[in-house]
Amino acid sequence: MLALDIRNLNKKYPGFQLTEVSFQLEKGYIMGFIGANGAGKTTTIKSILKMVQIDSGEISILGKNIAEHEIELKQEIGYAFGGIDFYTRSKLKTLTEVIKKFYKNWNDETYYNYLRRFKLDENKKIAELSTGMKVKYSLALALSHGAKLLVLDEPTSGLDPVARDDLLDIFQELVLDGEISILFSTHITSDLEKCADFITLIEKGQIVASSEKNEFMESYRLLSGSESQLHQVKERLISYKINSFGFTGLIHSRDFDPSSDIKATTPSLEEIMIYFAKKEDTYV
Amino acid sequence: MYNLVMKDLKLGVNPMFFAFPFLIGALMFVPGWLYFLVPLYFCWITIPNMFAGFRSQNDLMFTAILPVIKQDIVKARVTVIVILELLHVGVAMIYGMITFRLYPHLTYYFFAPHMGFWGLCFVMLGIFNIIFISVYYKTAYKYGGATTASITGAMLFAGVAQWLGVDNSFVSDTFNGTGADDIGLQTSILFAGIVIFIALTLMAYRIAVKRFLKVEIQ
Repeated sequence: MLALDIRNLNKKYPGFQLTEVSFQLEKGYIMGFIGANGAGKTTTIKSILKMVQIDSGEISILGKNIAEHEIELKQEIGYAFGGIDFYTRSKLKTLTEVIKKFYKNWNDETYYNYLRRFKLDENKKIAELSTGMKVKYSLALALSHGAKLLVLDEPTSGLDPVARDDLLDIFQELVLDGEISILFSTHITSDLEKCADFITLIEKGQIVASSEKNEFMESYRLLSGSESQLHQVKERLISYKINSFGFTGLIHSRDFDPSSDIKATTPSLEEIMIYFAKKEDTYV
Repeated sequence: MYNLVMKDLKLGVNPMFFAFPFLIGALMFVPGWLYFLVPLYFCWITIPNMFAGFRSQNDLMFTAILPVIKQDIVKARVTVIVILELLHVGVAMIYGMITFRLYPHLTYYFFAPHMGFWGLCFVMLGIFNIIFISVYYKTAYKYGGATTASITGAMLFAGVAQWLGVDNSFVSDTFNGTGADDIGLQTSILFAGIVIFIALTLMAYRIAVKRFLKVEIQ
């Protein structure tokens, strides 16, 4: 079953547009949603939550269309937005009291278990929480109302490596029993190398690729060689950089002849993202 | 919808604004004052401060994430405004009755706080609502222009009404003179005022929903 199914999403703004955005997330998995700043990650996420009005396209969550089942589906979605705060001068206790009334499957026992587990003090104010603790509070809320799809917009941005690693462990644990699925947007790609099952790359409002993580990384090769070797592959490269030793460039595995003497390695997610962003730049 | 109203009352609206009608209402004890100013304090102080609070607390985003539809977001917010307005007018009305007891032989230059006058206040708040609510929901966060426009509208109405009350013998007679003792006349003016208030506020709600559905929550 698909936890999230986005098909042919279009949204036009002056100066930016999402074009035919389509990708699917299987239930019980973590999908990393990557792209440079301004590539369209947040706009896509806001479309899922019906915060922006899409021009065309279909979004289904757990098999139901969001346009028709908005309230019902929002009961099943949990959110965490890194860097956006609400009612920061209110205590966790006050905020929770208000929020829990909206959810029919709210479970106080689960909530207090997560508070204990995340070491959250409900008498603290939101403003007194560290960035990581705020994400944990959002997670505690989402899990207490039985959210099946967690939509996390840059939850690890601004966190130190220890806090990030801690959160990633939590994410992996959450999807273990196959009930919860996570869509995780970030530009910190190393986080996804640790915990994502699938990767979707968006660039300039278009989906470049969406597939299983290793398959995604294996479908590209990072080449490095001398400038003379560059001419053999230049036309087929996605983009490249010239340095004093020669060049490094990204190529689709299918466009690369493995018998060639150019040194090829499997790129990291970060390298794939950077070279795709660079490709767009060269056309501008 | 009920949960959204409770959310505003518990989180969004500073408790001071619930005490405010009782404090500002005490201006009704100023003998022979220009009593239109009393409910206007709601428009001048409560509205801009309350909406500044919503904006700085990121209330729009917070609410959009909750399992609610956009129509209900508007309906709840309009309800909260109306609750506060009723509190302001209701308290001022009670204080007004006390004023009559305190100074029984006062000659009123401006409108005396008879029921007919409160009917005019309801019309004024209705005008305030239709302008404020419909302009605000063009963006759902810019409250400055909406406040200025709606206060201007409400004050123009109050100004003209009060000017007529002073200058026109018929109006003066209806509200302060012999008409003041005619309970039937006074209650019908109050009732008409309330009907206009409800009609304008409902219209405001409908326009606001239409506009808010197009708002992108950024």
